[in-house]
Amino acid sequence: MTQDAASVRALLGEILAALSSAPESDDTRTLRERLERFVALSDDALTPAVLLEASAVPLGAMRIFPKEARGLVGSKANAIKQAAEAALAAEKEAALAKALEAERSGAGFDATMPPPRQACGSLHPITQVTRELEDLFTSMGWTILDGPEVETEHFNFDALNISPDHPARDTMDTFWVKTQPGAPRLVMRTHTSPVQVRAMRRLQPPFRAIVPGKVFRNEALDASHEHTFHQMEGLVVGKHVSVGHLIAAMKTLLRGIFGREIEIRLRPGYFPFVEPGFELDARCPFCTEGCSVCKRSTWIELLPCGMVHPNVLKSGGIDPEQWTGFAFGLGLSRLVMLRFGIDDVRHLLAGDVRFLEQF
Amino acid sequence: MKISYRWLARHVDLSGTTAKDLAKELTLSTAEVEGVESFLPHLSDVTVGHVVHREKHPDADKLSLCRVDVGQGEPLQIVCGAPNVRAGLTVAVATAGTTLPGDFKIKKSKIRGVESNGMICSERELGLGVEHDGIWELPQGLTVGARLGAALGMEDWVIEIDNKSVTHRPDLWGHRGIAAEVAAILRRPLKPLDLTLPATGSGAPCAVHIESDACSRYLALRVEGARATRSPLWLKSLLLAVGQRPIDLLVDLSNFVMLDLGQPNHLFDARKIGPQGIVVRKARAGETLKTLDEVERKLEHSDLLICNGDEPVALAGIMGGEGSKVTDDTSHLVLEVAAFHAPTVRRTSARLGLRTDASARFEKTLDPELVPLAAAHLVRLLQAEQPEVKLGAPATDVGKWTSAARTIRLRGERVRTLLGANLDDAAITDILVRLGFGVTQDGDALAVRVPSIRGTKDITIEQDLVEEVGRIYRYGNIPEIPLAGILVPPPRDERRRLVRRIEDRLAGSARFHQQISYSFVPDTTVEKLGLLATPHVEVMNPITEGASRVRRSVVVSLLPLIEPNRRRAADVRLFELGKGYEPVEGGEPQERHEVALVLARPPRKAHARFDDTSLAELQGVVEDLVRSLGLEGCVWSRCEAAASWAHPGRATALRIGAQDTLVGEVAALEPGLARALGLTGEIESDVALARLSVDALLAATPRARRYSPLPQFPATRVDVALALPAERGAAEAKAALERCGKGLVAALELFDVFEGERIGAGRRSLAWHVTLSAPDRTLNESDVKKFLERVEREAAQLGGELRRE
Repeated sequence: MTQDAASVRALLGEILAALSSAPESDDTRTLRERLERFVALSDDALTPAVLLEASAVPLGAMRIFPKEARGLVGSKANAIKQAAEAALAAEKEAALAKALEAERSGAGFDATMPPPRQACGSLHPITQVTRELEDLFTSMGWTILDGPEVETEHFNFDALNISPDHPARDTMDTFWVKTQPGAPRLVMRTHTSPVQVRAMRRLQPPFRAIVPGKVFRNEALDASHEHTFHQMEGLVVGKHVSVGHLIAAMKTLLRGIFGREIEIRLRPGYFPFVEPGFELDARCPFCTEGCSVCKRSTWIELLPCGMVHPNVLKSGGIDPEQWTGFAFGLGLSRLVMLRFGIDDVRHLLAGDVRFLEQF
Repeated sequence: MKISYRWLARHVDLSGTTAKDLAKELTLSTAEVEGVESFLPHLSDVTVGHVVHREKHPDADKLSLCRVDVGQGEPLQIVCGAPNVRAGLTVAVATAGTTLPGDFKIKKSKIRGVESNGMICSERELGLGVEHDGIWELPQGLTVGARLGAALGMEDWVIEIDNKSVTHRPDLWGHRGIAAEVAAILRRPLKPLDLTLPATGSGAPCAVHIESDACSRYLALRVEGARATRSPLWLKSLLLAVGQRPIDLLVDLSNFVMLDLGQPNHLFDARKIGPQGIVVRKARAGETLKTLDEVERKLEHSDLLICNGDEPVALAGIMGGEGSKVTDDTSHLVLEVAAFHAPTVRRTSARLGLRTDASARFEKTLDPELVPLAAAHLVRLLQAEQPEVKLGAPATDVGKWTSAARTIRLRGERVRTLLGANLDDAAITDILVRLGFGVTQDGDALAVRVPSIRGTKDITIEQDLVEEVGRIYRYGNIPEIPLAGILVPPPRDERRRLVRRIEDRLAGSARFHQQISYSFVPDTTVEKLGLLATPHVEVMNPITEGASRVRRSVVVSLLPLIEPNRRRAADVRLFELGKGYEPVEGGEPQERHEVALVLARPPRKAHARFDDTSLAELQGVVEDLVRSLGLEGCVWSRCEAAASWAHPGRATALRIGAQDTLVGEVAALEPGLARALGLTGEIESDVALARLSVDALLAATPRARRYSPLPQFPATRVDVALALPAERGAAEAKAALERCGKGLVAALELFDVFEGERIGAGRRSLAWHVTLSAPDRTLNESDVKKFLERVEREAAQLGGELRRE
């Protein structure tokens, strides 16, 4: 402002000089004193507001100046006014810039402050894994089927080549439903396999189907045993369907589940509704040298499977000489536990929101 | 089932094959091996020693001071307390640093002031028996300093086989059966075993009468001059390896034969079998038998008994009777080897909770042709230990059994098709012959002779033989073949699509957690609902008392979850998609697919908005859900026949579509039930529940989604408060406003409900935001004025008024 102060004083000096040619009067004296007070002000005191005032003084008392000087006085006073307005604008701009600067600094903002929680819902982990598998299989042309959870003894056992004396029918494993004497006996289905025969009766071979669903076994509850759990049955019936096809389908299934190639092995396993029957082991996806999941064996027993027993095909009205098939029974609950690292099967159906909201 | 490696080696040459190798081979071809363990691994840490000098301990009368040569430098000084220790004995020495069973660590120590550098062991201390009458006097001739296990040829490994993986293979319930598998896998011969009965005397055979079909064959043989002596080491160690406690020679041999051939057998004291001989019959009601475990068993008619004349002496195939057992002074025996009906044995054993090694085998359907072989085996083994044992009379071998041997036609093409492996007939024949089948050509197929031992249960049809070939060929050798065929998309699964959309909406924008529950519902919950008398699908054998009922509605499963979850969180929002079951007399129950929802939160605050209730919110969720499914025309009405969980005064029914299809109900929780469910005190809750029928939603026709043109002219909003008699529902007010709009009402939103003196008793004021618009022009003041005039008239007709303030 020093520079400007000097030029303002010079302008004021020229105005005072013009005043000196005016006749002396009280007005003239008062005006001169007022103008001289401005000249006497220190540089710092010459703020834009004061300059504005200084420019207003001669403009408001123009009549006191001699006529011939008025043009000059007006232009000088306006020059002071313009200087004042320019300074004011610069001051305003500076303040705005300063304010923006302050705003940009983000003072008082804590980036580590936790955001407010958005409430949300969840799909049950069994639903999530079931959907993945359903999508995988439907993409390969498989049909998804459903069957009753309260099943007839016929579909659950007889039609599946499980003889009346088979230990699986014992009350030890099967929940028998109270029925009237003489009425067909009912059970809580012990597996999803009864839908095999229901499917055969409904669909014309060739076909491929999966059946996800709830099953029931009369077993004491502990961390790895549930009396109610989920399975997914798979069934393929066609011309010349062989163990080789089963192996390929199971490898595809595992690729779908784990997202990469998983080594498998088939070994003999006995289930009355398949012949030959297998246990399918998958190379443990979690380790290479043995871990707690694979019980140090590097293999995980994943699912029972096999070639559909000719008696089962016959139960479904399919000629075993014309058609062959394979079936598998994936333990969905177990797969869900593997997938999410759940260590206690009882969490799955317990309905604790603290569990459900994790998925 | 435990299998001893050394025992297997009695039947097949195992040189070059370790127990671990066997475990792998068996797993891949035969049965699941659960593990392999070294038998008494410490035996290889124990040393063969020779007592070179023995003198009395200077400070203890009963202790001996021995110098024992263990083959390493100077003999060791060892203090021993056994009475039988003496110079010249060959003994088992556990030197310092050895660990014996029971985690017993041997250390150098001072016993009564004298240094002792180890322990001379008894059999019991080595885990080999129960005798403890002194140190073990080893046979002479063992190399001093040798490892004991190797010196005695007792090193062994125990292969644990999962019983469940051999339930269909009665032939694998003995070591010889497993050895036959190993022989087939390793391409080695099975060692011969002489199973012919030695010569018998010409005395009177034991009489046997079979009175029940549940016994197909019964062999009784008089064995004379046997003594219950201690078993030799080879026998004891094999039995110990497979977890059997050695008792005496007679019991041990009986067990050995069972574990060797898989055929259980029984020894009676001949003095307890009278002249009427043995009778096999079903039990009579009320009969009892004290079994060998000294438990008095109550019998039923379905149980099969072995009797001395009429007196029960054994529970057939399960356990002998206490009264006829072999004792120390027994010398004459009656040996029983028989074939019993598998289900009979299984049922009795299961009912009595008495599962024995014998019953486990009989319930697998044993081959009746094993009977004489097992008898011969036992006699031969016994005579090898006690040459004086004689067979005083011919065996009695009676019954109506049929051999399970059979011939099955096997087509090579069938094997190749089913396995997907390119095996020629020669390779197939080779495998079958290795497994003990007889194979001859039968036209273009193979005629396969199945021996009786494989034919009782496992091998009855062609496909069973395919399995035999496949498992020995190894499934791992089969190439994978991708499924091929004409790929057509599966038919659209409308139910599944609907279910997924419901799940996504509820778990998504509606913010509910999906629950999957047991289908069983506890009686305690059913009782709280007052539904104990309502028919349910019920199981006969529930997992626990009071959990026999299967839910009729999915809602019932959610009820018990409210209280525990409310304790953990303020808001509980759960839904479940599942099935409810309604019993149908004499038929399959009616299955209902349902969506159940529960919304629970703290009680409504006094000045909350009129619709800030769980019920209103849940109705909103349900209506949104239904709309999201493309279903239109939701109509709410009072639910007249509310479910037992529903508040009778605050229950709504939802109908949709032109047919007014009932799709479900939404209601506040029955207030008494809330208390019964424990929702009191600090977790007192405002609870609403919903039950929607998936079947009804599926049956409703969704409206095809169509675009509606955006309005060209601005809409006008006007707020209208209608005070009507309280008995007139909101639906009536809404309909009235729509009528008054004459097609101009674009939207109606209820925003306040007021009751009070200002509007008069028995009246209720409902305030609405009304949006008016016309497709072809901008509405003006006079349109609104006319609308309000019509509302005023309509309100008056309904017995109320349009409020202006």
